[in-house]
Amino acid sequence: MAADAPDYSRVPRWSSRAIPEARGDIRTEPDGRRVAVRYPGWSTTDYGKFRTYAYDDWRPEPTVSRAIAPAGITGDPTKGRALFLNRQKGPCTGCHLVPGDDVWPAGSVGPDLSTIGDRKLPDAYLYQQLWDPRVVFPLTVMPPWGLQGIFTPEELVHLVAYLQTLHGPATPEKDPNRNPFTRARPVGFGDNLDPTNNPGVVRAEDAEALWKERGPAGKACADCHAGGAATAMRGVATKYPRHLPAWGRVMAIEDFLSVHAPPTTGRTLAVESADNVSLTMLVKMASNGLPVAVDTSSPEARAALARGRVSFGRRVGERNHACADCHAVDQGANKFLGGRFLADASGGLTRHFPTWRTSVNDAWDLRRRFQWCMTPLGMNMLAADAVEYAELELYLAQFDNGKPMSVPGIRH
Amino acid sequence: MSLTRREMLGGLGVLGVAAAAGGGVSLAAAPAVAQTLGANETVETGLARVFGGRPMKDGAGLIKLDVPLIAENGAVVPVAVEVNSPMTPQSYVKSIYVVADRNRIPIVTRVALSPESGKAYMGANIRLGETGDVRAIVEQSDGSLWQIKREVKVTVGGCGG
Amino acid sequence: MSDIGKVRLRLPSTIKAGDVVQVRCLIIHPMERIERDKAGKVIDKKYNYITKVVVSYLGKTVSTFDTTQSVSENPYFAFTLKATDPGMVTVTFLDTLGGKYEGTAQIAFG
Repeated sequence: MAADAPDYSRVPRWSSRAIPEARGDIRTEPDGRRVAVRYPGWSTTDYGKFRTYAYDDWRPEPTVSRAIAPAGITGDPTKGRALFLNRQKGPCTGCHLVPGDDVWPAGSVGPDLSTIGDRKLPDAYLYQQLWDPRVVFPLTVMPPWGLQGIFTPEELVHLVAYLQTLHGPATPEKDPNRNPFTRARPVGFGDNLDPTNNPGVVRAEDAEALWKERGPAGKACADCHAGGAATAMRGVATKYPRHLPAWGRVMAIEDFLSVHAPPTTGRTLAVESADNVSLTMLVKMASNGLPVAVDTSSPEARAALARGRVSFGRRVGERNHACADCHAVDQGANKFLGGRFLADASGGLTRHFPTWRTSVNDAWDLRRRFQWCMTPLGMNMLAADAVEYAELELYLAQFDNGKPMSVPGIRH
Repeated sequence: MSLTRREMLGGLGVLGVAAAAGGGVSLAAAPAVAQTLGANETVETGLARVFGGRPMKDGAGLIKLDVPLIAENGAVVPVAVEVNSPMTPQSYVKSIYVVADRNRIPIVTRVALSPESGKAYMGANIRLGETGDVRAIVEQSDGSLWQIKREVKVTVGGCGG
Repeated sequence: MSDIGKVRLRLPSTIKAGDVVQVRCLIIHPMERIERDKAGKVIDKKYNYITKVVVSYLGKTVSTFDTTQSVSENPYFAFTLKATDPGMVTVTFLDTLGGKYEGTAQIAFG
């Protein structure tokens, strides 16, 4: 299927209807510092220096850069190893395996570096790799660590010294799970639709009370959508996200609730509010078992898909990463990133959202998941209901077409 | 209906609340020591406190401990324990303990069973602070203790989470 | 959070007299963990967590869980009981703040 060329000339401007923590706002403090307004517990660092998914952000990727090591520094392999494992930096072990019982959990996105010293690569070559690997590998997913200032030149010298100490023969593994190339895949959290297993189901089922409750305008969802949510909404969510002519943009259920609820029930149902997420789950549950059927052929859908496809491959943020770097086959998909097994987007990853996240004991919709993915990687998130995210979601949802919905999911 | 001593010790009453549990049985407040199962301590201290140095036999072959080899996060780790036992009044499993060696509160939970349980089985989701051993310790009706343990590795993400 | 104390119970769909049935229950509960201040000192407050889960059936306590803050938030518990007669299974949860929550399910032979 040939991809349409993306057209950014007629994308609507959208004024966010998300909760304040989800709008991607940057606040300027009285002392001039810029502070990001994000969810509780998330970093407040402003990453404005680095490009985002915004359709009006046309800054280029960082320019490919050559560099040589600073003179007069002797590399210290011990310091280098500590830097390699440091979670505040890479960690390099997120993608690369190296020796050591304390290396847990290393990833397999990049090659195993356990015997890289045997290759007798020049120090200058290794230094350039760490500074900006795109000089040698133009399409690499590895960030330009030195160029972006994540490591200082001195730190890179220590890292090179460490890598040069890694010689074979490789020590036999005591535990096959240490090595990401032989590690067992995650088994998941069991039956996502069992309310005695997934707290998200309890929350979603109980949103029926909200469905029936009168809002400030004196009406309830149930007043127009009779018969209970499971009956009234059956099949509806299979078509979302979709382009809605009344609003001139692609919308998911979450976006639609934020514009539909105020004029009908009087409720705000701001995107990323707890009630919005709960009702989104309730509406989507009504389509469980039914195949996803998002429109991919109308002119509006095709235009959105073309833009969403570009977003999927777009390098953003301090780490210069694209969704595709982790979630496309031949890049990161089906490999371990640290301890996380990366999923292949072309297998369909949207039909279990919103999903219950056991690590935070909360239900997350797909937009929050988008925001979470790139923010720790040094990118200012967009508003949860941004058109950019909706079209990226549509791009991903097409791979779920024909597959049965199963909401809410349960994940780490 | 007469109360057995075990019913009284296993009863409700953290704050002295007695609750009727069907059929008009009232369960008296349990003594304070039965309430502090868990404490902020090392696993060695906890085991000494709870089991008083009593010997533990190797439970391999008797106890099946179901824990993942790798836990995706430490917040929710499913544990299930099954013990080979006839569960008759003459011979049954009185208690199953779950212990997590590296937790700040290593004695995680204990279930007191009865022959009416039919099978010596329990399951629960536990928290693991970090990679370490998870143990199942079984107390039989004859007072003997049996133990089995396995390491659970707690994993983390690459960068984004 | 108003969700605290919601309980779900699950039994097998067909039970014959004398079966040993496995029951699962889940409760929405924060199971508050110990908090520490920036210096690492434990913050002294009344943490809200479940300390007891009592399973009763036919008027008797079948099993009792003693639980701690090492048990997960929104915990599930699984246990078995010998289904000798039709009757109600009641699971009662008690927490440190005096909360008492109950879930019930009917055992019927089919």
